[in-house]
Amino acid sequence: MRYRRRKSEQEKLMEEQPGSEADVKEPAQPSYSQLSRNIEYLTKALKHSNDLKVRVLNDGNAALLYFETLADQEKVQEKIFTQMEFGKWDSIAELPNGKHTEDLEEALKVLLRGHALYIEDGNKKLSYFSVTTEINRSVEEPENEKVVRGSHEGFVENLMININLLRKRLEHRDLTIKFFRVGKKTNTNIAIAYMDGITNPELVEEVEKRIKSVTADTILSPGFMEEFIEDNPGSPFPQVLSTERPDRVIANVMSGKIALIAEGSPTVLILPSTFFMFYQSPDDYNSRWFSGTFIRIIRLMSFLIAIGLPAMYIAIIGFHFEVIPDDLVPPVKSAIDQIAYPPFVEAFIMVVIIELIREAGMRLPQPVGQTIGIVGGLVIGDAVIRAGLISNLMVIVVALTAIASFVVPSHELSTTLRMLTFPLIILASTLGFIGIVFGIMFILIHLVKLESFGNPYFAPVSPLRLQDLKDTFVRIPLFKLDNRPKDANPIKEQSMGESREWKRNGKSKKSKQTKKSK
Amino acid sequence: MKKKGLLLLFCCLVLLTGCWDQRLFKDAKLIMGATFDLTDDGQVKDTVSVLIPDAGTERASEGSAHIETGIGNNLFDARSKIDQQLAYKFDPSKLEVLLIGEEIAKQDIYSILDGYYRAPRNNLSAEIAVVEGEAAEVFTITTDQEPRISEHIVGLLDAVADTTHSHGDNVQLICAELFEPGIDIALPLLSVDKDANKINYKGLALFHDKQYHGTSLNAEQATLLLLMDNKKGKVARITRKVSEKGEPRMARYLSAEVTKHNRDLKIIPSGGTVSVDINLDLYVNVVEYPLDKLTDPKKITELEKKLSETLTKEAEEVISLLQEAHSDVLGIGRRTEAFHYDTWKQMDWEEEFKTITITPKVNVVIQEHGTIG
Repeated sequence: MRYRRRKSEQEKLMEEQPGSEADVKEPAQPSYSQLSRNIEYLTKALKHSNDLKVRVLNDGNAALLYFETLADQEKVQEKIFTQMEFGKWDSIAELPNGKHTEDLEEALKVLLRGHALYIEDGNKKLSYFSVTTEINRSVEEPENEKVVRGSHEGFVENLMININLLRKRLEHRDLTIKFFRVGKKTNTNIAIAYMDGITNPELVEEVEKRIKSVTADTILSPGFMEEFIEDNPGSPFPQVLSTERPDRVIANVMSGKIALIAEGSPTVLILPSTFFMFYQSPDDYNSRWFSGTFIRIIRLMSFLIAIGLPAMYIAIIGFHFEVIPDDLVPPVKSAIDQIAYPPFVEAFIMVVIIELIREAGMRLPQPVGQTIGIVGGLVIGDAVIRAGLISNLMVIVVALTAIASFVVPSHELSTTLRMLTFPLIILASTLGFIGIVFGIMFILIHLVKLESFGNPYFAPVSPLRLQDLKDTFVRIPLFKLDNRPKDANPIKEQSMGESREWKRNGKSKKSKQTKKSK
Repeated sequence: MKKKGLLLLFCCLVLLTGCWDQRLFKDAKLIMGATFDLTDDGQVKDTVSVLIPDAGTERASEGSAHIETGIGNNLFDARSKIDQQLAYKFDPSKLEVLLIGEEIAKQDIYSILDGYYRAPRNNLSAEIAVVEGEAAEVFTITTDQEPRISEHIVGLLDAVADTTHSHGDNVQLICAELFEPGIDIALPLLSVDKDANKINYKGLALFHDKQYHGTSLNAEQATLLLLMDNKKGKVARITRKVSEKGEPRMARYLSAEVTKHNRDLKIIPSGGTVSVDINLDLYVNVVEYPLDKLTDPKKITELEKKLSETLTKEAEEVISLLQEAHSDVLGIGRRTEAFHYDTWKQMDWEEEFKTITITPKVNVVIQEHGTIG
């Protein structure tokens, strides 16, 4: 009984445009029976906007209202007038594909959604038809999350298509979608997706509570939502994983997390997230587990390089040059002997140059961006060394740091890492190794303290959960990952039954069968 | 409010400290090699090789050496004399090699090393060697093997350690042995051949306590001593005459590399003194023997016997040299103290090391004869 109800609810949600369950409470206005009063109310509410088309029908006894800019003329023709030409129905209000309301505020909302509104004189019932134009780009591989093997699909800007991409991958009745309206003026349609029966209901409740508490006028992208609902906006670390890949979303939803999708953006947020999730890529699971593990370890090493290498280098040549290996002493000495600036200034200049080149190259069109890369990378890099501003070792160190920060599969974390370099550089150039130790200690303390939707951010390292380490630094074979990670506190932990039985006692089983048959 | 104050305090603490304890690598004058000699009036003459990096080169380079001398009352006095002649600060923390002149070594090697052990920021892994005559002469040699003379000496000392000619000791490793009565050190001995413009490895300088006795072992004896000390390097090669006849002359010699060795040092206490048996089994691989016929078991046995005899005789010589120099490099005293403490207490090791009986016996087993039959 319960199941049927839930299923029908879901179907309804999939069929009709969302919004009927809008959570943004606005006053209701019962419709009038006179046509003119209705139209007057609506046009006034819409501030006599010029693109609102009012087509007078039946000698002034009825009218069809729609936004020319939102509605598709062909759809209007097809859904309303072609139907009428069959002569089966007397009035447009009787058309079966229309929906009805008696609330003018509701009518306003559907108009803004691109529906055509039919009003008859002497009838309080308002009918509306979905004639929205849909301008969508095709489903393409996301530019910033490419993989070598596996799905090349990415989300688009249309919420319905995005949910369709999820449903296609997860054909199960437990996949639950809930719609919300946020942004008082923008009225952005957002949805959360989770697996009922796996995801912790308390987590769902918490997420719903936080979404409902957003009262801003403008919510443009998931980035806005992220800042409104995350636990600690003062932290440099992103606490919500954003991705444009359906397969990544499904993987996370299946481990008991919640996906937040918003209309108008291909980015989907995963709540809650842990630090190590930012270092996982779908490629890890597409390749063999040895190579997946190898690449993941390289990625985690890149974290240390990205935040610590320049600081380390500065501390060594500014304080503790005893640690330079004997054979490296003459080359290092000759590289930095003629540099005018102290290492701190040197590093600072170089890091800023790299950031400038990166930002300039990213915003410019492709061909110009490449030119900037070449001019910046090669010409400036070579010139600063020749000019004696920066030693060639510092160029190596800073370039390596930049590369290491780009290894992270998540763009937000990559930016965070490059930002964290600065405090560590300052600490290293004032206190040497001790400064680095203090800096990393503060970062670790912060990471351990951080929470994402009530779940520890640095799990499974702190709190230590040996079970979950199987898919953190390494990735052991998938058939051994038989428990869901506890990151999101799922209510159903087991994710598979016995696997590869044929291997474990394969021979004995086979021989038994053959014996029986004999 | 309190939090903000703390944050401000922290920022001040970090930023206002500035760089008061900064030691910039580019401002350090790195001392790569140091030699110590005695002047006629007993002062310390410290001659150092300073690393001068090549300026403005595209590729990384080794740099060159600049030699500077300072004379002072002790180590640090001499150092500060040198510092007064150098641009930027004298920095011994990347010292590669430490060379001691014969005169100082014969007096007291520790008087120089004390400053190295006591002050931090000294490189204790610097290699150490004794130089015949005046150590500062070493830096007058110009070799084209390596761009810097100190690197050349380091390479030389590393190589003799690899070929089982020296222990490969550094400043840190000899520290404990300098203080302990039951064991002595033997440092590589270098000589400067000014005419040939060369530095040669001469053998091992045998120390008693903190003084160089003046007796040294040659390279062949050094290998044997190290094998008896159970300290084989990467390669231990033995070349000995095995027959009186044979033409050409070089056919009379056999070269073999020790692949495995087994040293058995037995201390037998008896009546307030000890006698020592050293049994050394050498399993060797013949790498050069032009007369061949090594597949013949008889021939093999013959060669083994000959080699064993020769080496045992040489070992006896080495032991007598050790006892003459009063240099307990094998650590027999340490072992006696550890395993036969009662005997050790009765003995005056200082005096009695010379008189105890040490019987070495070398037994050679030819296991392989190279890649040809």
